[in-house]
Amino acid sequence: MSDIISQDSHSFFKQEVVRAENLRKTFLLSRKQQRLEKTNAKRKIAVDGLSFSAFGGEIYGLLGPNGAGKTTTLRMLSTLIRPEGGDAFILGHSICKDPAKVRDCIGFMTGELRLEGFFTPDYLFDFFGAMHGIDKNALHERKEMLFRKFGIDRFREVKVSELSTGMAQKVSLVVSIVHDPEVIIFDEPTNGLDVLTAKVVTDFLAELKAMGKSVLLSTHIFSLVEKLCDRVGIIIDGKMTAEGTLEELCGGASLEDTFFRIYRGIKGDTL
Amino acid sequence: MKLLALIKKEFRRFFHDPRLLLTVVLPGLFIFALYSVIGSAISGNATYEYNVYVVGQSQVVSAIEATVKESGSTVRWLNGSEEEARKAIEERQADACLVFSDQFDTAASGAQVELIYDLSNEKSSAFSSVASPVLHAYGMRFSFVATSVTDEQNFGREVIANMIPVLVVAFVFSACMSVTLESVAGEKERGTLGTILATSVKRSQIALGKVIPLSCIAALGAASSFLGVMLSMPKLMGMNLATVAGSYGFVSYLFIFLLILSFVPLIVSAVTAVSTYSRTVKEASGYTSVIMILVMVVSLVTSFISAGDWFVAVPVLNSVLAIEAILRGNIMVWQTLVSVAANIVYTALLVLLIARMFSSERIMFRK
Repeated sequence: MSDIISQDSHSFFKQEVVRAENLRKTFLLSRKQQRLEKTNAKRKIAVDGLSFSAFGGEIYGLLGPNGAGKTTTLRMLSTLIRPEGGDAFILGHSICKDPAKVRDCIGFMTGELRLEGFFTPDYLFDFFGAMHGIDKNALHERKEMLFRKFGIDRFREVKVSELSTGMAQKVSLVVSIVHDPEVIIFDEPTNGLDVLTAKVVTDFLAELKAMGKSVLLSTHIFSLVEKLCDRVGIIIDGKMTAEGTLEELCGGASLEDTFFRIYRGIKGDTL
Repeated sequence: MKLLALIKKEFRRFFHDPRLLLTVVLPGLFIFALYSVIGSAISGNATYEYNVYVVGQSQVVSAIEATVKESGSTVRWLNGSEEEARKAIEERQADACLVFSDQFDTAASGAQVELIYDLSNEKSSAFSSVASPVLHAYGMRFSFVATSVTDEQNFGREVIANMIPVLVVAFVFSACMSVTLESVAGEKERGTLGTILATSVKRSQIALGKVIPLSCIAALGAASSFLGVMLSMPKLMGMNLATVAGSYGFVSYLFIFLLILSFVPLIVSAVTAVSTYSRTVKEASGYTSVIMILVMVVSLVTSFISAGDWFVAVPVLNSVLAIEAILRGNIMVWQTLVSVAANIVYTALLVLLIARMFSSERIMFRK
């Protein structure tokens, strides 16, 4: 029996759980944005033919400066927005053709999506559990486990609007994985968090990996990537400029030095 | 299960927030208080000289005169026949007429007095209200009849048929606005709607999860305002509401109920669609105000147009005309039922539109 489990989990770790193929997305520029960007082009390319793969049981980091297309990529993968070209597959489900199935097997957290401040963590957990069609008993067990782990149990009946930023972020995180998804997509997971909450979040991401979950995160924090990610993709101007394990990418140098070497190679000396 | 959870969430958001609850209940209380005060002010404060015919004789007229004086008005007694008096009341040259039987004050039996007035004339009704209790309290046995030169039921029906449909539209719309803007545009603005969109729940379920509970809440708000008007009407108009309300049969009430029941979700869906399109509550409020003006114009023009059968296909107009006809006593069965069906079809189309809008990233996630 244990052999079967180990074979299954071994095969899952090799399995390609996220595959992005030539993703492309543009945004219409307003006149004001055209003036600010000093361009006459009516559209801006946010993601330009991006392809990458993430495997089972690994943490994959999308690293890039602001405006590189990280968030847009994650929003396409989470099916909130549609790609104009290409496709991506999560556990074999196409984000274009089968978005509902994709949403069922991912947990997505981003600063743009918020929780209604009027409700309590307890109620929101149950509500989003119902949105994912989770059985009540299973939901109750998972709630107790996650609330204890993140120290939310003492605040379970406090309105989200009355919680501290860190606690509210923890509630958002817990709610995003209410349905125990196989793939977790986090956009800048430690942004705006104090050091203690940031540590809780990074430890939990490592724990998710240990549980065999696949985590896809975007960040511009080098230390976070170095600490957590098994593989990393560097995005600049919507294009994948480098991809691989930290060793493959850096070859002994620091990630920061490697990133700026790649960045200067594309953009010149202008930072 | 998902739809039920969405519906419960809206109800919980609403019924657990005293501020939101107040926005629905307060208009009704406010209208009742305001209309009652206006009604009392109109009937209570103005000094007026009543022109009242007296046919026959009785000492009770001096008691009536004294009571009228106590309220700050006076009475000018006129002599003439009953026919002259009726004509004068109809032409609004006189306010009322008291017809006493022969030897009214001294007759041992068979004494009779008739108060003739005009229900549709505010001053005439006011005199009737003052004189009737004095006559009832006069210390002798006699029969007393108060007769209006206009038919009370018809007059009441006319007033109600002109007023109620417009009020229904106004109250339904304002109730829909107060709950829907916050629930849809507010959630979109705060980014909480996006969190629901990130789950696997169907967009059509999210749309229904908004329209169904918001319709119930809006209906509650509209009912509160409606009750406020109806309960304050006796003071405002000097009408006996029970007489008029009692003149409509079960079918009339059923049809009006069906029309309102189909009209509320239609307006909620329309405001939800506009709120979904808008980026902020402020923007949604601007668009909805324009729609409200259009809807009110449509509900008001019904008095000036002679609508053919085509009206059943026009939203708002169909409900207003059908309610008007029912309140005038002319129930039009097929028009009413087709209007209800049309409202349901328009609501379904709007729900589909809202679901499509929820799927549109240009609408849901534009900056």
